[in-house]
Amino acid sequence: MNRLFAARRPLGLAALAIVAWVLPYRLNVYWISVADTALLFALLAVGLGLVMGIAGQVNLAQVAFFGVGAYGVGILTTAHGFGFWLAALLAMVAAVCAGLVVGLPALRVQSHYLGIVTLGLAVAFLDWVTNAPVTGGDSGLSGIPTPPLFGVGLSSQYLYYYLELIVLAAGLAFGYFVVRTSLGRRLRAMRDDALAAGAAGAEIRVLRMIAFVLASVYGGAAGVLYAGLIHYIAPETFSIADMFLLLAMVIIGGRQSLWGCVVGAIGLTVAQQELINLAAYAQLGYGMLVVAVVVFAPTGLAGVPSRVRRWRLRRRSGISAAALGSFSGVPSSGRTGAVLEVSGLVMRFRGVIALDRVSLRAEPGEILGIVGPNGSGKTTLFNVISGLYRPSGGRVDLDGRVISGSRPWRISHHGVARTFQHLRLFGNLTVLDNVRMAMDRTRSWWSWRYVFWPVGVWRHERELSRQAGAVLDAFGLAAFAGALPHSLPYGIQRRVEIARAMASAPRLLLLDEPAAGLNGDEQRQLAEIVRAIRASGVTVVLIEHNMGLVMSLCDRVVVLDSGAVIASGVPASVAAQPAVLEAYLGTTTLPSEAS
Amino acid sequence: MIRRSGAAAALSAAAIAILAAACSAPGSSSGGSGGSGSGGSTGAASGPIKIAVVDAQSGSSSDLGQFEWRGVKLAVDQVNKAGGIDGRKIQLTLFDDQGDPTVGTELARKIASEGFTAMLGTAESSVTLAMAPILQAEHIPNITSGQSTKLLKLGSPYLFLNGPTGLTYDSTLAKYLVQTKGYKKFALLTNNDSYGAGEDSAFTSSLKSLGITPVAAEVVPADQTNMTPQLNTIRSRNPQVLFIGAEEAQSGLTVKQARSLGMTAVIAEGAPAGTPLFLSTAGVANADGTIVSSPYLGNGVDAASKAFAAAYTAAYGTAPELHGAKAYDGAEVMISALKACHACTGLALASAVRAVHRTGLLGTFAYDSQGVGIFSTSIGIIKNGTIEPVSS
Repeated sequence: MNRLFAARRPLGLAALAIVAWVLPYRLNVYWISVADTALLFALLAVGLGLVMGIAGQVNLAQVAFFGVGAYGVGILTTAHGFGFWLAALLAMVAAVCAGLVVGLPALRVQSHYLGIVTLGLAVAFLDWVTNAPVTGGDSGLSGIPTPPLFGVGLSSQYLYYYLELIVLAAGLAFGYFVVRTSLGRRLRAMRDDALAAGAAGAEIRVLRMIAFVLASVYGGAAGVLYAGLIHYIAPETFSIADMFLLLAMVIIGGRQSLWGCVVGAIGLTVAQQELINLAAYAQLGYGMLVVAVVVFAPTGLAGVPSRVRRWRLRRRSGISAAALGSFSGVPSSGRTGAVLEVSGLVMRFRGVIALDRVSLRAEPGEILGIVGPNGSGKTTLFNVISGLYRPSGGRVDLDGRVISGSRPWRISHHGVARTFQHLRLFGNLTVLDNVRMAMDRTRSWWSWRYVFWPVGVWRHERELSRQAGAVLDAFGLAAFAGALPHSLPYGIQRRVEIARAMASAPRLLLLDEPAAGLNGDEQRQLAEIVRAIRASGVTVVLIEHNMGLVMSLCDRVVVLDSGAVIASGVPASVAAQPAVLEAYLGTTTLPSEAS
Repeated sequence: MIRRSGAAAALSAAAIAILAAACSAPGSSSGGSGGSGSGGSTGAASGPIKIAVVDAQSGSSSDLGQFEWRGVKLAVDQVNKAGGIDGRKIQLTLFDDQGDPTVGTELARKIASEGFTAMLGTAESSVTLAMAPILQAEHIPNITSGQSTKLLKLGSPYLFLNGPTGLTYDSTLAKYLVQTKGYKKFALLTNNDSYGAGEDSAFTSSLKSLGITPVAAEVVPADQTNMTPQLNTIRSRNPQVLFIGAEEAQSGLTVKQARSLGMTAVIAEGAPAGTPLFLSTAGVANADGTIVSSPYLGNGVDAASKAFAAAYTAAYGTAPELHGAKAYDGAEVMISALKACHACTGLALASAVRAVHRTGLLGTFAYDSQGVGIFSTSIGIIKNGTIEPVSS
């Protein structure tokens, strides 16, 4: 089925290219101008899809990027006599600057709050263009020249169509290049779970800014093309109503798919023309359609085929745990384990002291167990070590280097990997992509290659895929490479999370209740995996409630109670200490082995 | 591997398409794209004369578009009832531009491709500004309701205004107040939206050309309802005239608050002060003596406006206002031109419009080279809740 699809895709693409190329021969002058507008909206929508659908950043200022591009060209050509293409270049720079400004709030707020802030910025832009003398105020700027290309003036709507088509095709190709490779994988991981993405080495703040810059590039390009097409710009074109129309295009088409955005944009533009006599009701119609899509098909029209396919697949065979391969050892990373030294760590949340002067040490090639009753501060300790929390006092050293207080991605790059008590896999990334994302050890600035050295990106990608394939093979997960995590049985998801953590070739692995929810067989396999990880030289720290597993697996155990270390040592001696028994059971009677 | 060979297939297919496309240019062969023909000629001697009305029927300016459509339709219905032009009826088609310049450009091409002789509208300068270059290229005369002076700068021989420019309101008002009434101390209170900002600069420059600098100029946010602080500042300068540049409701509130502060200055304003909303907000007593500058003072000022108002009310069940009157006048100008040149098209029709010399509701139309036909507004004074024209 999938193979058939892969074979069909290029054919479909070729057919589409031919249709797009010969389409103008079938259109009259009116419809070609509608087509020209539709392509511009498609370009805008792809940009919005990248920032909202791929990176998960609510951006209601896309129409402002469009405006900056258009007004940039308009002002520079009409008031300052610049040539079209030079003005276009400068307008693009201005649009990128606008992208950086609009992206700034994303560093502090997310989801609907970000929506409100970006909407505010879009309104501010609209207010400015309506009132500023330089933008021509209410009556806008007219007389914007036609862009020349190789000595030919693109005054014909038909020629302009091809210019737009080429720009859109290039924009789509670049968009897909980003989405399918390292940068896009990180953006998608950030969208699915920003916290886990940070812990896996993604620089969340930089990625958010990159997302907004990407959106502004597409928005700016659409604006530049708009100015050259219409030769006139006025505030009406960049109104909030247009922003919501654009939003409707992206949501109806399918925000997580760039093709979906294009389909939504073209579909809605054409529908708008067909329903022009019903324009008063059309807004209501779009609104209801958006609500229906959000409720019944959250991934939009583009998501429908894959939903159907998945549903049929599930009905036909279903993914069974039987396909789980056996664990065949940890691929050697060439890294050695690190010494973890926690000294006097204090973590206060307002009045509550979650960690009270905790000190402990884990050596390379050792499995250190952390136990304690619920609320004793175990997960808080992991969150401080992995950088999710900044400690109130004390420090964490890794091989003698202070890591406490650093951001999660930096700690990840120092060689710390973790799993979470409640699974935090990237839900819309395949198992293979979950692993590839963590395996990618490049920094965000590495992304300049996307613009200046795409070949480098491809090579990096090939290498990642090769290594990730090896990790999946080693963990017996090869059969699930293309599956989404939530379609897998729970035990397999647990294993995927460990595989993802190990993909980053850590020197210290933090496992937060890895056995929770596993059956006896799976627990035995887990123990085998953890021992193999230790054998490869990696330091392992493990939180676990299953005392049987702790006793059999750990070299040493530290017991936390109310945020403080109350005992530590080899498992047998710790289990016998009265303070430990009291913390667990409230009395000093002997514990049973299987607690 | 599959993907790579597929990409190659896609590329070669695209190359074939390009080769095919190179053989002929798109648009040149497709039918239905013929414009109304260049140059001027008398049109086909049979069938109706197609005139497009482009006005917002949805969106925020849809009420304006509605008023104008009624005004145009009334004029055309009247001429059709009287037998049309050389025996040919005028066929009106209404297009909704949604107040959006982009939609406007698409409609301009649609009008051209469907062979319309002329266009009336739009309600908003920005949409006309976007459409004008295309209409010029397609040789379609257009009488717009827009008032922006930017329309003049386009220099299109096919573009005409159905009323005065926005500047005219203020220049006529300033001339009356300074030259006829002899006032010297002026204060301005304007809001910060595009209308208010335009009024501020237009009235200030009109005063300047008459050698007068205002003693106070206050700007308020467009959504402010309490203008007392700014009015107190203005009152301390003791002006003879308070000029207001704001929409109807805010203007009315300003007048009400100025009077309750004990200000006695003469209130002067453009078209918003001529509306019922202004009167009801300010209160009849407070509005008394307000001097209004508008090309259409009201439905009862002379015989022509009374006849128009009666016909309009009979047709639509409501009384007309400025925008309907302007659009009616614009349609009348177009009808006169069509009659004069026997339903010609293109540049000949544009020349015929320019040659029209007729008295309408707004005054006597005599077009200049820039497409403006009305160069002054009427000055009225509000007395007991009705506007009376002043004899200047």
